Parts: sequence; structure tokens; C-alpha cells
Amino acid sequence: MSLRDVLLRVRALATPRGVERDLDDELAFHIERETQKHLADGLNPADARARALARFGPVPLIADQCRDARGTAFIDALARDVLYAFRTFRRAPLAALTIVATVGLGLGMVSVVFTMYSTIYLRTDAVRSPDELFAVKQSTGPGPDASLPFTRRKYEAMRRETSIFADAVAMLRPVPARIEGRRVTSDLVTGNFFQVLGTQPVLGRPLMPEDDERFGRPVIVLSHKGWHKLFAGDPAVIGRRVRVNGLPYEIVGVMPEDFRGLGILAPDYWAPLALVGQFRNASIGREDEIAIDIVGRLKSGMSPQAATAGLSAWASGRTDLNMVPGRPTSISLTPSKGTLLADLESLMAFTPLFFAFGSILMIGCANVANLLLARGVSRQREVGIRLSLGASRRRIVRQLLTESFLLALAAAAGGLAISRLFLESALYAATTMLPPMLVDVDLTRWTPDADWRVLLFLVAGAIVSTAFFGLAPALQATRLELVQTMRGEVTRDARPDRARHALIAVQVSASALLLISAAIFLRGAAAAATTDPGVRTSDTVVVAIANEPRRAALLQAVIRHPSVAALAASSQPTVAIAETSISAEAMSVDRMTVSPEYFDVLGIDVVNGRGFTHSERSVEAGVVVASETAARRLWPNRNALGQVVRLHDPAPGTPDGRSLPPRTFTVVGVASDVGGGLQIPDLFAFRGIYLPASPESPGTSLTLRVRGDPERARLALLEHLTSVDPGLGVINTMRSIAGLQTYVMRIAFWVTAILGGLALVLTLSGLFSVLSYLVEQRAKEIGVRMALGATTRNVAHLVLSQSLRPVSIGLVVGGGLAAALATVLMATPAASAIGSVVHVFDPVAYVASLLVIVTSCVLAASVPALRATRIDPIATLRKD
Amino acid sequence: MARHTVPDLLPGTLDLLILRTLQTDSLHGWAISERIQQVSQDVLQINQGSLYPALHRLEHQGWIEAEWAVSELGRRAKYYRLTAAGRRQLVVEADEWERMSTAIGRVMKLA
Repeated sequence: MSLRDVLLRVRALATPRGVERDLDDELAFHIERETQKHLADGLNPADARARALARFGPVPLIADQCRDARGTAFIDALARDVLYAFRTFRRAPLAALTIVATVGLGLGMVSVVFTMYSTIYLRTDAVRSPDELFAVKQSTGPGPDASLPFTRRKYEAMRRETSIFADAVAMLRPVPARIEGRRVTSDLVTGNFFQVLGTQPVLGRPLMPEDDERFGRPVIVLSHKGWHKLFAGDPAVIGRRVRVNGLPYEIVGVMPEDFRGLGILAPDYWAPLALVGQFRNASIGREDEIAIDIVGRLKSGMSPQAATAGLSAWASGRTDLNMVPGRPTSISLTPSKGTLLADLESLMAFTPLFFAFGSILMIGCANVANLLLARGVSRQREVGIRLSLGASRRRIVRQLLTESFLLALAAAAGGLAISRLFLESALYAATTMLPPMLVDVDLTRWTPDADWRVLLFLVAGAIVSTAFFGLAPALQATRLELVQTMRGEVTRDARPDRARHALIAVQVSASALLLISAAIFLRGAAAAATTDPGVRTSDTVVVAIANEPRRAALLQAVIRHPSVAALAASSQPTVAIAETSISAEAMSVDRMTVSPEYFDVLGIDVVNGRGFTHSERSVEAGVVVASETAARRLWPNRNALGQVVRLHDPAPGTPDGRSLPPRTFTVVGVASDVGGGLQIPDLFAFRGIYLPASPESPGTSLTLRVRGDPERARLALLEHLTSVDPGLGVINTMRSIAGLQTYVMRIAFWVTAILGGLALVLTLSGLFSVLSYLVEQRAKEIGVRMALGATTRNVAHLVLSQSLRPVSIGLVVGGGLAAALATVLMATPAASAIGSVVHVFDPVAYVASLLVIVTSCVLAASVPALRATRIDPIATLRKD
Repeated sequence: MARHTVPDLLPGTLDLLILRTLQTDSLHGWAISERIQQVSQDVLQINQGSLYPALHRLEHQGWIEAEWAVSELGRRAKYYRLTAAGRRQLVVEADEWERMSTAIGRVMKLA
């Protein structure tokens, strides 16, 4: 179809009257010219015109032929096809409804995955020229361990001393905080953040550079999300004062809905970075030292490569600004458009999801194809009549495909609704499965939107599924022996047994694959739940202290509380550099500070030597307890007890802000390792070095052993401690934290189980309808067989054997696919991580899911088989 | 002399004749049929009924284009002329015709 052709057609469609008039004029001119010629030959006017008309032929017919040549016939035919399709739907509404529901379910499932993918990787943030924005990272070498965070000092130096970026912003995110007691997430950003990104507020003003000078002005700018969550979208919110972490702040602006601050999910609000001390007390006075993220806007015409080279050169010259001075530093730039980088790894992560959710669509389409193949036989007469009336095969195929596509479009609309419903209920379910510490995070607000990309995806999906479920039946239905069809005989050739069997085999194998995965995850979750987490979780509660000035008061309140039986303190694990006398190389080890009671309260065995005594309550004591792994790593094949290790932090400014000055320690004990089992995330894992501390040490959280039910104790403590310090951190039972460890596995199980269940139900309904149809079609044959002495057993066997082959082929293929997939997985670098969590070759999972499928298939097949045995031979034979 | 109505002759011949006729001039439909009749010395008479559908088809294929202009009668008429693609098509079809008529000629002489 050339461009000219399209233009002419468009013109014909757009101005039908003009085009018609042109056609009339053209033909009329011809007749008049011919008449003129005859007049010149001497004929009288009436004869001349009559002869001209006779020579020309019937004008309306010729005009019609011209219209056909013009090609609007295509549109006319389409309109007719659509009308015809609607008539067909009306005649068989149940079939149409089944198709829409089945395909809609499948399309909905795939678009669930696509919506997530689109939100994370495709939906660019609403900022000016997002392609110019690049995140700046620095590292001292290859590998993730070598990455070196930027400090605000270095960021300011980079802005001053280089001219590679038009401008750059720095941010710290996400920072948890409380507004009027409600848990919120904040992004702390430099004052130029909104100017550099080029985003205008919908209300009030953005943050300004002045807000971020020296000590900062206590102002915040709400995101659209935060505005609705905290203030129900109140337009009079500007100028209102709110308490953020107990301190007064003024709301100065609200940002538009499609601006997410270069993140996947928008924070609740933005505040000046200079105020970081109010969000993290440890940072007070060290605002220039905190680790921040940098995003720069490249000058126009500057390539990322040139920028990388220029920045690396500058960074190498200013290693004095690094946390570890003197190490060579290289810079890398990654696009920062508010999406994650769609690299190979992320695609690999999404591929199984697309396959798993897509298999529902595939199974659904196979069902529909089966249904259409069956209907094709019953529509043979209709198709046969149209063919013999002169319709071309192409024309009829097109009409059948139009029918299928209309159904697929309706299914796409249904799919959109299904995907919204699924996403929202899945997020709701995921939230309720979370332990209480995270429940305040309103996950349902995170439900990604369906934007135009999702709609486009659905339409494309409708086209693809039409090709999948509509094409083969349409071709099959038009392959007819005309004469026999007209006589009302169903041609043998049109009974597409093989195609249907292939479809069933495909369905069964996809169900098998999904159910095997579900079983593997279920077994994994069960194993993770029963694995000893390595710490005592039955009666322990963790209290995080967010507000250091109130530590002493909180401590008093905790000690006096009647439900508390024992108390220990510990810090978050951080990385330290360890030097020993037996190794020339320094090694990095995890370190955490714990109070002497810690080992006892959490039930961690000291397998060798001793724990800390009550006088050893700070690093000044000069003693450490090593875990078994750390002891093995630092002193291979030696007794760690009594060994001396020199420890220091790799850089000033560890996350809690308390750095460890270099000093030597003597190992007084070896404790058993914690974690490293089947859990993901492995929250309690620690295999490093314990340093002494006390509950008074800043930066530690409290671990309590409580009397009675830990959940009740948690609530009692929460109430009591909130009255002591309203800005209190979080209180959680260890049991709920341990529950989080099986969370991922449980989610994976539920997702695959739901998908596998859907797949199985669709497959069974497909099998059922195919067999039922078969029994109906072969009723006469069965009747004859019975009349000739076939027993009910023979007949049941006849029907069941029809399903035996495709089902068993599907089982073998599905099981094989699962095993092949497992083999491929185990060949990837992630093998050890996967292998420690689930057993991908778990025979129990394989056998159990295959048994489920076999049993349900036999059940589904037995109904039509039973019906076949009840066929009355006399009645069937008399029917004709 | 027997008169033949195109395209009774051979399918596709009408297209070739139209394209060839428009090679030098831009003409309206009536003039095209007249020209063919004259040049063939009245042997070929275009079936006027099939001329216009053919013209419209060729226009959609992009081989000829149309323009309204004032005719010798003083009223508006639709003039057709060859496009660049039409010229290429004419070469192809003329070659094909040449091959065909040579082949037929050979068969008539030798068979």
C-alpha cells in the first residue's frame, strides 16, 4: 500500500461527497465529449447522446467499479464484518462471553507484570530533558565493595571546580521520619533540586537554594502522594505548620502528581539537605560528611563518555576529599531518569515473571482455539454456503479473524480491569502478610498506575492473542469440501484431532511447570520457617531508639517495666578493617557492638572462651568476641582465643556516625555463627566480631526478653514508651522479624500457586470441553459400537484414551521443562544463592504436582467418559 | 475489418495501453480511448466501461496521477499523467509484452 494510495483512501473517507461529485463529473464529461463527437459527425442531439450512452455502458455500474478500485471497499467490508461478528455474538453469547473471559484473564495477568515493569523501567519522571540527567558514582576499583559514597563537601567542590554539568543536585533518601506521629518517608535534597530538574509546583513554591544554606530553613515541599496521604489533598495546606520528628516545619509547596523526585516511588515530601541533623541526630555538626547521592544535568553537547573522563580526572586530583584519602578514584555515570536502569540483569529478573504470568494467557488462548476449532465444525455449513456463493477464502478468513479480534479487544478491556484488581488485592494481601513493623507503610498507595503504555501493551496483546487463538481455527474452518458440506456432511478432514491434542499437551505442560514451581517454593517456605534462625525469637522484643537525648529516660522506663525480664543492647553490623599478626593483608570483617547480656538474651552460644563481663561495657575494655566464621577467617587453623587483632573503620562516618578509632583487641571468646540458613532476607545473620558496649552507648537498640506473650508485651511497651518519648523508634517482636524471613518465599509460593491453580483450572476446563464435544460428535459411532456389543468399559476406555496421550506428553514436557530450567538456573552465578534457599530438583515437589495434575485430569475426563457409557444405542441410531 | 474490444485481447493489456498512451501527454479519459482507437487505426476499441475503473486503479497504484483542468469543451475535466513509478512500470510491462508477442509470433511461425 503506497503513500499515495493511503492519501487517496483517506481523502475518499474524509470527504466522501467531494470524491463522489468528482466521479460523477468525470463520467458525465466523458459522455458529453462523446456526444459532441457524434454531433460533429452530423447526428441529431438525441441520437448522439443515446449512442454515446450505449457505447459507454451502464453508468451506475461503472461508477461502482470505480469505487471498488478506489479501495474504500476495504472499510466497507470491515464494517460489514464487524456487523456480522456482532450478529454471531448475539446468536452464541455464551461462547463469546467464555472467550472474552478466558482471554481477558490471560491478558490481565500479563499486563500485571507489564504494569510493574513499565513503572520500574519505562516510566520516565516528569522532569525537563530527563536524558541529560546522570547519577554520579565513584569507586576505588572494580566490584561493589569498592564503591565510595560522595560527601556533601565533595559535591560542593565538584560543583565549584568542574564545569561538566550545567548543575548538579545532591540528595539523601529515603529518610524515615514522622509527621504528626504518622510514619512518612522523606527525601532530603539540595536547595537547587527543583530548579535543576525543572519542575514547577502545583501549589506554593519549590525549595530554594536559600532554604538549604548553612543550618537550613525548616520548610518542606509535599509530593502529590504525601499531600493526599497526610492532608487529603487540602488546597489550603500552604503555610501550615506541622511537626516533623517533633520539630515545627512549614509547608511551602506541593509538587505535581507525575513528579516522583527521580525515584520509582515518590517520597511523602522533600526537605532541605542542610537539615539532615534533625533527621539523623548522629549527623549533627557533620552535615558535610554524610554520604549522599549526586545527580547532574550534563551541559548540552557534552557526551557521557567525555563527562566521565573529565570527572574522573578531577576526582583523581581531589582524593584528599575522600573518606579514605589518597586512594585512586574513578567516576561512573548512569542515566537517572526516575527509572531503574533496564539492563540485562533486570530483564533476566523479569523474564520468568513474564513467562509465568504469560502462560495463563497461553493456556487461555489454547482453550479458546480449541473452542473455536470445535465451533468451526458446527459453522461448516455457514462457511460452506458463503464459499459456494462466491466469497473468497481470504475474505472469510478475514471475517473470522475480525470476529476473533473484536472478542480479543473486549478481553483487553476486561484484562485492564482484572490487572487493576489483581495488583490492588495482591498488594493488599502482601501488606497484611507483612509483620507489624512495616504495616504502616501503606502499600496500596504504591499500586502502579495504568498509563498509555499499559493500554498499548493490552492492544498489542489482543492482536497477538488473536493470531494465536483465531488464525488456526479460521484456516481450518475454511478448508472445506464444498459439495459435501452443502449436503450437510461433516468432512473428516475438518476434525482437527491432532491440533487439539497438541493444544492440550501444551496446556498440561505449562500447568505442570507452574505447579512444580509452586511446590518447590512451598517446600522452601516450610523449610525456612522451621529452620532455626540462630537467635532466640520466642520471647524477645527489639526497641529501636531514634531520639538519643531521651535514651536515659527510655532506658529507665524499660528497666522498670513489669513485662521486661532481661535487657541487652546492640548496634547494627558495620564493616571494619581487621589486621592480625599472621596476615600481611588487612581483611574486612563485620563488626557490631553488643552489651554483655546480648549473648544470653538472644541465646547465642559462646562455644569457646567467655562472653563479655559486666565490667566490659565499651571498646575501651580492649576485648572482643569473634564468631566462628570470623575466627576461622582471621586465624585459619589456629585457636582464636587470646589472639590480638587491630580493628578500625574503613572511613570516618559509618551510617550511625560513630566511628571506631584504630586500636588493638584481644579475643576472649568465640561465639557460634548466626544465620546463613535458608532464609531470605537473612535478617539476623552475623558472622563477624562482637565489640563490647552498654545500653547507654548511643546508636544501640535494645533487645528485651519479656514475660508472657511477646506481642502483648510489645503493645504494652509501645504504649508506655510513647508516653516517655513521642519520637520513639520502632518496637518489634523478634518473632515477627523472623516471620519476615520467610516472607519472600511465601509470596513466591502464593504467586506461583495462584498462577498454577488458574492454569490447572483452565486446562481442565479445556480438556473437559474437548472430550465432551468429542463424545457428542462420535455419539453415533459409539452407539454403533455398543449395538455391536462393546461394553461400557470399552466405551469409557475409548474416551479416556483420547486424553491419555496429550496429558502424558504434557506431563513429560512440563516436568522436563522444569528440570531444564532448574539446570539452567543452577548454571548461573546465582546458583549458590538459589540453592541455599530452595531445592530446585526437589523430587517431592515434582511428584506431588504431577500427581495433582493426573488426578484432576482423570476426574475431568471421567465425566464425559461416563456420559459416553450412558449413550443409548437405539436412540442414537434412530436419530437420523 | 474486425474490431476488438480491449481487454478481450489479453488480460493486463488495457493497463499497458493506458500507460503507453499517457507517456507523452496528459489526457482525460475520453481522449485516452480516442487516442488508442486512432493509433490502432480503429482495430482496438477501448471498452469505455472498463476504462474508468482501470484509471482509478492505476491512480491508486501510484502509476498515474490526476489533475482537474479546463478541457477543450470549456468545462472541467480530469486529466491523467504518468508518474515516475508509472514510467518504470511502463518499461516493465512493455518488455513483458515484447517477450510475449515474440513468443507467440514464434509459435505461430514454427509450431
